[in-house]
Amino acid sequence: MSFLKPKTHIEKGDVVILYLSVSSMHAIEAVPEIVNKKGETIPHIFQTNYGSLKVENIIGVEYGSRVELSKGWAHVLQPTPELWTQTLPHRTQIIYTPDISMILHQLEVRPGAVVIESGTGSGSLSHYFLRALKPTGHLHTFDFHESRADQARDEFRRHGLADFVTVYHRDVCNLGFTEELDGQADAVFLDLPAPDLAVPHAFKALKLSGGRFCSFSPCIEQSQRCIQELTKLGFNEIVSMEVLQQESVVKTRTLPVIDLEFLKLPKSEETTTTTAANAEESKAPKEVKKYLTSSNPQVLPGHTGFLTFATLPPNIPKV
Amino acid sequence: MATETASPSIQLGDYIVIQRQKYTKLQKFGSLDTTATLGKETLELKSLLDQPYGSTFKMSVKETKPGKRGAQRQHTLELCSETELNSTREALGISSSGADNRDICDNGEAQSLKSADIEQLREECNESSKIIEKLVENSKTFHNRTEYSQEKYLRKKEKKYFEFVQIRQPTIRLMLDIFYRQDAEKIMGIRVDTLSQIISYSGVCGLGSYLLYESGTNGLLPAAMLNSIGAGTEGSLVHMHPGNVPQKQALLALKLPLEQQLRCVSVNLYSVLREFYQGGETIGSNLSVTEPTEVVREETQPETPTEDQPEAIEPSTKKPKLEEVKGEANKGPPRWQLENKRATALMHNKFDSLVLAAKEHPSSILQALLPLVKPSRPVVVFSTCKELLQETYMELKTSGKVTGLHLTSNWMRTYQILPNRTHPEVNMSGNSGYLLTGYTLR
Repeated sequence: MSFLKPKTHIEKGDVVILYLSVSSMHAIEAVPEIVNKKGETIPHIFQTNYGSLKVENIIGVEYGSRVELSKGWAHVLQPTPELWTQTLPHRTQIIYTPDISMILHQLEVRPGAVVIESGTGSGSLSHYFLRALKPTGHLHTFDFHESRADQARDEFRRHGLADFVTVYHRDVCNLGFTEELDGQADAVFLDLPAPDLAVPHAFKALKLSGGRFCSFSPCIEQSQRCIQELTKLGFNEIVSMEVLQQESVVKTRTLPVIDLEFLKLPKSEETTTTTAANAEESKAPKEVKKYLTSSNPQVLPGHTGFLTFATLPPNIPKV
Repeated sequence: MATETASPSIQLGDYIVIQRQKYTKLQKFGSLDTTATLGKETLELKSLLDQPYGSTFKMSVKETKPGKRGAQRQHTLELCSETELNSTREALGISSSGADNRDICDNGEAQSLKSADIEQLREECNESSKIIEKLVENSKTFHNRTEYSQEKYLRKKEKKYFEFVQIRQPTIRLMLDIFYRQDAEKIMGIRVDTLSQIISYSGVCGLGSYLLYESGTNGLLPAAMLNSIGAGTEGSLVHMHPGNVPQKQALLALKLPLEQQLRCVSVNLYSVLREFYQGGETIGSNLSVTEPTEVVREETQPETPTEDQPEAIEPSTKKPKLEEVKGEANKGPPRWQLENKRATALMHNKFDSLVLAAKEHPSSILQALLPLVKPSRPVVVFSTCKELLQETYMELKTSGKVTGLHLTSNWMRTYQILPNRTHPEVNMSGNSGYLLTGYTLR
């Protein structure tokens, strides 16, 4: 239930983010017992690189607290869509926060909005939509894969979001978004292999007063076909873009400064008596300078997808 | 369904977005005499009243006045239907094109109309397609141009002579585009991708209580957050600013319902923190006591030292404000005092996230505001300058009060996607600004 609103303490059934380090986070369900592969009910023990956690012990703990593991410690955080995106069980490829943020901004999603999403996939984007449109809006999310749709529906229920979302198992390219949704949506989002096939359905589903459209596609050809279809139907403000986030790794560096000036001078008499190496060391005590630096990591995401946005202007007849 | 539209209508006092092709402008429709200036064109706005948002209007020349830079034309506006907007190419019925540019030389003789002729045409014809038709007729090279080049020519001419404007209701998306294009400095250089991420990372939504400090974004940041909090929800926002008066243009332009506007409490950073830490007695006494005017003078002046905030406090805005406050004070506690009280109540309950976009060094502000945030809540700090956030990153990391720290920036590129002519746009923005994000710990 921990996605519904900000809360202070972990309750039984909450999804909790167990934060070990920037690169190590886990989403765990705060239940004291789980059923193992043999069908037996056993205490819920979660294994990490820093030892095990008896999950029962975190129930009732305040979010943001430090919890002890058998060989170390971690922090428990309330999940946000951002943290969930980094820890969720992948059923498909997912879209990450930078693209998602742009999608929400461009689709102008705010409380009360009615949004259509296809496909549901792993529900990464759905959680953001739900945060942005609840408690007064509604998300209609479609996937043509039956068990994915079922899993997503179950997940939304366990996350306390069931009231704000309807999950459909349906092939929208062929069948559209159901007649009930004709003229109902403020925004339509497509992440489909052939978005152009669903554009006419999106056109029908958008309100007569107009609305916003977005398609996310990894390949430019998909965007091209999609834009042709959008233009044909009278969409305007068509814009395509790419957004990539770059992380800066912040580090304090300590650099030795070496002195080369003394090499210009002839060696003095005393130094000739000792060994050369010793002399240099004693003459030039090592100077160090400290810098606060940041640099980009060696490998960065270079491409996620092309985002195509468009506006359906008001009062276009939908025959 | 066919005639029913949900579009609200344009009212006096509204902020409106005027769009002429790709150019957009935010304008206050203050009175029936209001005019808007788009380059050399001046538009009389009175005919917009009560028309639905999203409508298109046709500009017709009423008179031409000599201006500083050539003639300034005054236009009236007339509501028109979408069907009047057809493609120039179709209207002109252009058929022949050249294969390449081998026969085209730039010798300045291609157009036989003189500029005076064109000016006259503009006054005589209302329709851009007629003007462009004449231009094409009198161009010696037009039909030798390639189809692409013809299209580009027509687009360019259409841009210049286009006679339609669309009136749209301001949204965060439209206003950000306008502000960023006009003067990015005025919104602290917050680019679209960065703003979208501030909203995401801060987790601002319809439930919860949020804290923002910003030192001047034309009201864009508080407007974006309040927009995400939504109408008819429980969310609230405390908006702290360094000046006497908060910048509110974007907030006003959104025309949010009153109940939603009231859930954004704008307070001066110094004054509210003083109230929070040592408020109790002084405020209690102020409310009942006889000399509220004295208090106003005492409180407002020292709290906004002009040295610290030269841009935020201009003498011109300061004086009338003080006068106004004094006037109100006679009737009861001044508005800012009530806002401070509301803000401190929210501060005692603590916040569900903190957003900071400061022109000052973020460090001391963070130190002051972090204790007001509940544990396991997002913190987002924006700066155009990476070095400031590097230092802040290290301070937060050493303090152990915030975890999951990330310092990020963005790369954003838009594309021209046309059949056989797909490529990235020639220009792109080079500075997204930087975000430092993390989660508070207990």
